[in-house]
Parts: sequence; C-alpha cells; structure tokens
Amino acid sequence: MSFLKLEKIVKRFGDATVIDHVDITAERGEFVVFVGPSGCGKSTLLRMVAGLEEVSEGDIYLDGANVTDTEPASRQVSMVFQSYALFPHMSVHDNISFGLRMAKTPREEIDRRVAEAARILQIENLLQRKPRQLSGGQRQRVAIGRAIVRNPKLFLFDEPLSNLDAELRSQMRVEIARLHRDLGVTMVYVTHDQVEAMTLADRIVVLRAGKVEQIGSPADLYERPDNIFVAGFIGSPKMNFLKASVAAVNGGAVTVRHPALADDLTLPTRHAPTVQPGEDVVLGLRPEHLSVGDGGAARLALRGEFAESLGATSQLYAQTGNGETLILQVPGRRSLAAGEDIRAGFDPAQAYLFDGAGRAI
Amino acid sequence: MVSRPAARFAHLAGLVLVFAFAMFPFYWMVSSSFKDQADLLASPPMWLFEPTIKHYAEIWADQKVTAAIVNSLIVAVSTTALAVLLGTPAAYALARFEFRGKSDLWFWFISNRMISPIVLALPVYLLAQSLGLLDTHLVLILIYLTFNLPIVVWICTDQFRSIPPELEQAARLEGAKQFDVFWRIYLPLGLPGVAVSAIFSFIFSWNELLYALVLTRRNVQTAPVAATSFMSGYELPWGKIMATGTVIVLPVTIFALIVSRHMIRGLTMGATK
Repeated sequence: MSFLKLEKIVKRFGDATVIDHVDITAERGEFVVFVGPSGCGKSTLLRMVAGLEEVSEGDIYLDGANVTDTEPASRQVSMVFQSYALFPHMSVHDNISFGLRMAKTPREEIDRRVAEAARILQIENLLQRKPRQLSGGQRQRVAIGRAIVRNPKLFLFDEPLSNLDAELRSQMRVEIARLHRDLGVTMVYVTHDQVEAMTLADRIVVLRAGKVEQIGSPADLYERPDNIFVAGFIGSPKMNFLKASVAAVNGGAVTVRHPALADDLTLPTRHAPTVQPGEDVVLGLRPEHLSVGDGGAARLALRGEFAESLGATSQLYAQTGNGETLILQVPGRRSLAAGEDIRAGFDPAQAYLFDGAGRAI
Repeated sequence: MVSRPAARFAHLAGLVLVFAFAMFPFYWMVSSSFKDQADLLASPPMWLFEPTIKHYAEIWADQKVTAAIVNSLIVAVSTTALAVLLGTPAAYALARFEFRGKSDLWFWFISNRMISPIVLALPVYLLAQSLGLLDTHLVLILIYLTFNLPIVVWICTDQFRSIPPELEQAARLEGAKQFDVFWRIYLPLGLPGVAVSAIFSFIFSWNELLYALVLTRRNVQTAPVAATSFMSGYELPWGKIMATGTVIVLPVTIFALIVSRHMIRGLTMGATK
C-alpha cells in the first residue's frame, strides 16, 4: 500500500463541491506537487491531509493507518504555511522547539535537535531573535526548521515560496530540493507555479476545479499531457494552440489541415483515433519546438508581430492568417519587424493533437 | 483665509480650553483637599492659600477610609481577575469557533449593557437580601462581574479575531491541545486587548457608586461610598471629602500608568498590521 493514499476524497462547502472524488497516492520518500490555477482546491486538499479541514467523503491513509478522522496533532505531519505562521512572541529557538515542548521532550534532547535543525538550515546565529527581526527568507527557514525538528512522517508545504522575491525563491527552491534529498522524507507541496512543480517534483498532480487532470512525472506531463489543460499549464511559455481540422484518419495516424500549414500534417496518435475526418481538432506546438526558417519537417507561414529578447533566448510573437497568435522561442537575440513574413518549422513528432473535448489523441 | 500661525494659535487655544475644562474639577478636588474649612468656603474662591495636610491626617486616622480602600481593592481586584479569567476563554470561543446560537449569545452580551443600572438596583437588592448576601464583598464582585464580563469578552474577542488563524493551525499541527493554543498563542498575542479590558474592568469596579451604596452597609463600604458618607449630618466636611477623593483616584492612576503601554497599543489595535 502506498505511504500516503487519498481515496475518493470529496470536500463540500455548503452546496459547492470544491474537491470532487480525488484519488492520489504518494510513495515513501516521494516529492509530490499539487499544482493548478488558484481556486482549483489544491490548498484545501493539502489542509485535509493535515487534518485542518474535514473530509466530506472518502478516506486518507498515512503509513498504513486511516487518519481521516484523526486529530491534526496525532497525524505526525508538519506543515509550512504560505504566511510561515511563526509565533511572533517567541524566539526562533522557541518557535522551532514548540512541537517538541508540546510533546514534553527532555530539554537536552530539544536543544540537540534545535541545534541540528538550525545547522541544516544555517540559522544558528538567529536562534535568539524574534520573527519580526528576520527577513522573509530567514522566516521561511525557521518555518521549515519547525517542521523538520519533529521528524514527522510527512511534510506539507502550502505555497511556501510565494511571499519571496524571485531570486530568493529560486534559492529556497534549491534548498527545499536538497532538504528532500538529504532527509529522504515524503513531501507534499502545493504551488500554482509550474516552474516549482517541474523542478521539485518526483510526481505532479495537476488539479483544476477540484478534479485531478493528470498525475505523472514532470517529463510525463511535459511530453505526454492527457489533455489541453495540462498541455497549456505545463511549460513556459505556454503551448501554442491552433484550430485545425481532420483531413483523414488512417489507422494509428491522423492527418490534419490548417491554413498556416504548408502541407497537410500526418501525426501518429497515442490511442486508437476517436476523431472523424472533417472534425475540429487542436494542434499544440510548444514555443521551444518551433524554429525560424526552413528547418523541421513541417512548416508554418506566419506574420511577425514583435520580439522580446530575454538575453539567451528571444520570444517571437507571430500570427497565422486567421489571427491565431503563436509564440516562438528561439536562441539568441532576434528582432522581428511588424508584418514581416516568417516561416516557422517544427518536427511533427513534437506536435500534440487534441480532440474537440480537449483530450489528447 | 486664516493664516497658518493664527490657525495654530486657535488650535492650541482650543486644546487648552478643553484640557482646562476636563482637568479643572480634578484640580479643584486636589487643591481643596489641602485647604482648611475657612479657605474652602471663602467667596470669592481662594486661589492662593496656605496648604494643610490635616484632612489627610484625619482620613488616615479615620479607619473608615482605610477600610473602605481595602474593601475597594478586594472588590476591584477580584472582579478584574475573575472577569479576565472567565472572559478570555469565552472571547476565544466566540472569536474562533462556530457554534449554534453564537450570534444570539453575542447579542445577549451586548444587551446586558443596554439596561440602565438604576432600573436593576431594586431587584438586585431584593435578590441579594433573600440570598443573605447584603453587605458582603461577594455581592459586589458578582454584580460588577455582570458589567465587566461583556467588556472583557467584546474587547478580547475583537483582539483574538485579529490573530491570524494559521498560528492556531500551526500550533495544532505541532501537537498543541486546545488549552495550549489558548494559553500559549492567544493570551500572549492578545495581551493588549486583555490589558485594556482589565483596566476598564478595574476602573469601573473601583469607581462604581450606585450598587455599592445600595448593597453595602457598614462592613463592606467601598471608597466612593465612604467619600459620600461624609455628606450626612449637619456639616459638609469638604476638605475630608476632597482628600478622600484624591486618595481614591491614586490607585487607579498608578494602575493605569503601569499598564498604559499595553493600553495605548490596545486602543490603536487594528489600525496597522
């Protein structure tokens, strides 16, 4: 049995169902990230795992035990809150040792474990300070320190980096990844930032409107999104979508047609194709898979709009004849005149196809 | 348009006027307590006089006043302690839990303060009489509690509501029981509100006259009652009354000064994050 198992979880607030029959598992030592747009229910789900939110239906199992109705204090989970939730009237030492003191741990043991946590997080010189005397990054470390000092079974992170500036965020991201590697514990992490999800996760759970859209490794989600939502959510810049039509279906391949495509494009399908000739489909192309010029087996005719240079790469904004905007991510600095005709090429093996309902074909 | 210096002067003059108006009775009380009877009754009033401490010596010698101050202390301290002890857990519950009848309970707390105390004086007197509680500390403590509890509950509920719920959730996850959460998180963080409500509670109990007058006789006279008791008979010992008044004001002033830091923080609570 999985270390953490969420079984047919439902959460209702009044008449509104915010979590709708969700099944998720996590193995021991795994780093699982819940990701999704705001309001998708990811934080609610995490809070149910913590025991801070009641479960309307379904069961939660942790390390073999059903903890659905177990008090938060008895679940042996720790949580790092978005607001850090440090106790403002206590020193860093007292914040970190709070749980140990609640458990009536002997004093020497407390001091030893606080010192150990402080060493790991490099906050040894801050132990006597109050939270208000700390920077955002330091507070974050203290919050993590409070979580690790009790050796919980499970770590929960609720958007822990969203209050930090960009530089500190990427630094803390690396530290959390390192912490996971060094401690080897199971972590569940909630974020709306797909970059955090992609870089930290062993497994990503993509949620939308209280439902699981897809569960898989970062590579899975990037390479084989189950549907148009996941395809659009994972990857930056976002995947381009073009409305195409099916020209022919031939066994395990579908041929699609789009006015901007030089020729009809035949793509292999993942499952037996469910579309019929003449039906509308969506062709998905990642910006980083598009190149300017005649490279690639398939070609698009586009009209340039403008370019954004990011230094190492440039993002080119271009339109098809019928007004669909595409982004191309190309290496180096490249300018683009408005109205300039450009040709974009891509490898059909890197193109995605979705049916009218948004499912990957 | 008024020039700036003129506006400033008007502003200052206004402040001085209000200050003088507010402080004059107090000044009159204190200065009168140092005048002898002849100076006190002089007309027009004497602004310059030879100060005397004989009224203070008199009330010091008069065991009635010292006893009254001790009574007041017993009643005010007990009431304040009980009001805080009972009111803060109630405030915590009202601030953080959802339960049936919560808004009704809330209104009931407020409604207690809508009734004029004099309306209840007679029923309370009869009740105290049949319970054999007349002229005891307990009856004053109980009555003052009914006035002070709502104040403690209101102020502390508001204060506790301003404490981020994540702190409680974090504490719960760290293994804190309900009481630990209240004791280690809410009380220390809500201290400004607790202090303000304690001050209000103490001042009210210390100064209250009506019920003290109605419910006590000789044994449990409080300080305000002792001060007014001098008004009986054929002469009015103004100096003694004023000296008693000054002595009564002192403990409250000292108490307020000690906790004033918390009080100022408490009164401006919620103004900034």
